[in-house]
Amino acid sequence: MDSDFDPKILMKVKNLSKNYGGLKAVNDVSMDVYAGEILALVGDNGAGKSTLIKSLAGAIKPDNGEIDFNGKTIELLNPRDADNVGIGCLHQGLGLVDSLNVPENVFLGREIQKRFLGIIPQLDNEKMREKTINLLHQFGVSLPKLNDAVINLSGGQRQTIAISRLLLQNIKLVILDEPMAALGVEEGGHVLNLIKKMRSENISILLISHNLEHVFQLANRIAVMKNGKMIKIIKTSSTTKEEVVKLITFGKD
Amino acid sequence: MSKIPDKQIGNKDSTWFFQGIGLAIVMIVLWIIFSIINPRFGTITNFLTILTQASYYIILAVGMTFVITSAGIDLSVGSLLALVTVIGFELIKEGMDPLLGTLVMFILGGLFGSINGFLVSKLKIPPFITTLGMMVSLRGLALIHSAGKMHYGLPESLIWFGQGDIFYIPVPVIISILFVIFGIWLFNKTKFGLYVKAIGGNREAARLAGIPVNKIEILVYTFMGFTVALGGLIMIARIDSTQATIGTSMEIHVIAAVIIGGTSLFGGRGNIFGTLLGAILLSMMTNALVIAGVDYFWQLFIMGIIVISAVIINNYKEKKISFIKVK
Repeated sequence: MDSDFDPKILMKVKNLSKNYGGLKAVNDVSMDVYAGEILALVGDNGAGKSTLIKSLAGAIKPDNGEIDFNGKTIELLNPRDADNVGIGCLHQGLGLVDSLNVPENVFLGREIQKRFLGIIPQLDNEKMREKTINLLHQFGVSLPKLNDAVINLSGGQRQTIAISRLLLQNIKLVILDEPMAALGVEEGGHVLNLIKKMRSENISILLISHNLEHVFQLANRIAVMKNGKMIKIIKTSSTTKEEVVKLITFGKD
Repeated sequence: MSKIPDKQIGNKDSTWFFQGIGLAIVMIVLWIIFSIINPRFGTITNFLTILTQASYYIILAVGMTFVITSAGIDLSVGSLLALVTVIGFELIKEGMDPLLGTLVMFILGGLFGSINGFLVSKLKIPPFITTLGMMVSLRGLALIHSAGKMHYGLPESLIWFGQGDIFYIPVPVIISILFVIFGIWLFNKTKFGLYVKAIGGNREAARLAGIPVNKIEILVYTFMGFTVALGGLIMIARIDSTQATIGTSMEIHVIAAVIIGGTSLFGGRGNIFGTLLGAILLSMMTNALVIAGVDYFWQLFIMGIIVISAVIINNYKEKKISFIKVK
């Protein structure tokens, strides 16, 4: 049944498992992510959401399972592998390096270089600054200063930079782990707009959130996890918050 | 959405220079005060002496700036300097080609530096403990090799590195300044420098951004080892001797220069230009105390006070503490 790949499916996760000692953090999870959709991933603390997305982002290596992306089976050994196929991930609270400035953060891990005296590679800070400005313009992010360490920016600004840095490459899937956590209403609103903007650019989004308000506002489908297992994936339009809460809490409706 | 005001964006990577200005002003003021107190301090000859005395500290402090910016520390530099110089010195004296002997010093420096880096990054031993252990072990090795022995009598070609001059400017000064320029470039203009700052600022975020964190950390300590070899070479060439106890408490002097220069002890931010000024400032203080006839033991005492004061100022700047309420 998997042999003919549905073109609308961007990512196909098959029987993924990850154990920590005796704990099955992710237990035989299968799911599809469609092109251009926002798929919300919900579940209690310890349900396995973070472990699952870390496996999909190359941050940890799953014990079992297979990931097809864009029609091809891929192996993600490190974050760079994920980056190369077009998967970007915003890990919770780990988006940025506080002491670096905005362009340095945006380009961290994929710097643009030029040749000093024609031979020695060195950073092309001017070009990275320029591209950062363009990128931020494109996604409607306004910032006071690019040369300041990002620790001086507000939580919302930091989060938008952390997300923007994912959009630098030709990205197809963005994974966001609690992108609105610890943000004020207005700042969360900026991030919300950015997510909508990404969807309009036909980027698929896998969104982890505890906030069902946001989930129902944004997601096309909702995937519920409990105790490392994928309980159910449902269309947002055909469910209610009550049903989702029941699924999260009891693992059944 | 609002546009980014372009004039606020700035275009130059010269913040390192401006961060050093305050320190430079302090140094000039001290310079004037010392010169008024004792005219012998303010001569050009004495200025060059200060720079020459600072030269090996400057070179090691450049390496240490990378280490501390990566959120590490290296306490083993003085012991490593003793070990590489006693071995290198003896090999050259026993007839090894000076160039080859120097190469051996660099290989040993890099080797022990990379061991430090391996222990810190792969085996996750805190840098303080790793290099404290190495400090004791390497001093032990230096003593095993040369306890009670005083090596002297280097060939002229090597002496030049410590005692020669080009247009009246001492060779150690020229080498150290060139090395600082290289350090500023490496720190501010290369991937390596950026990754060191990223690792020191947020190790896990750096890893998730795809930076080979362990490799960079090993390189940082290896680079530190090379600077120890270079600084050691100049040091022994200058005094044309070495012994197993050379470089004792050198680490505190080097670390002090880095911290005074404005590099954050918590990692993530550093300033090579500041390090240069910090090393010269320390050399100036020592020189002034010597000219004033202050006892060596008091110099040690004052050095410790300076280090602690520099860390207090550093903490204040990092807003870890506050004397007055920060708005």
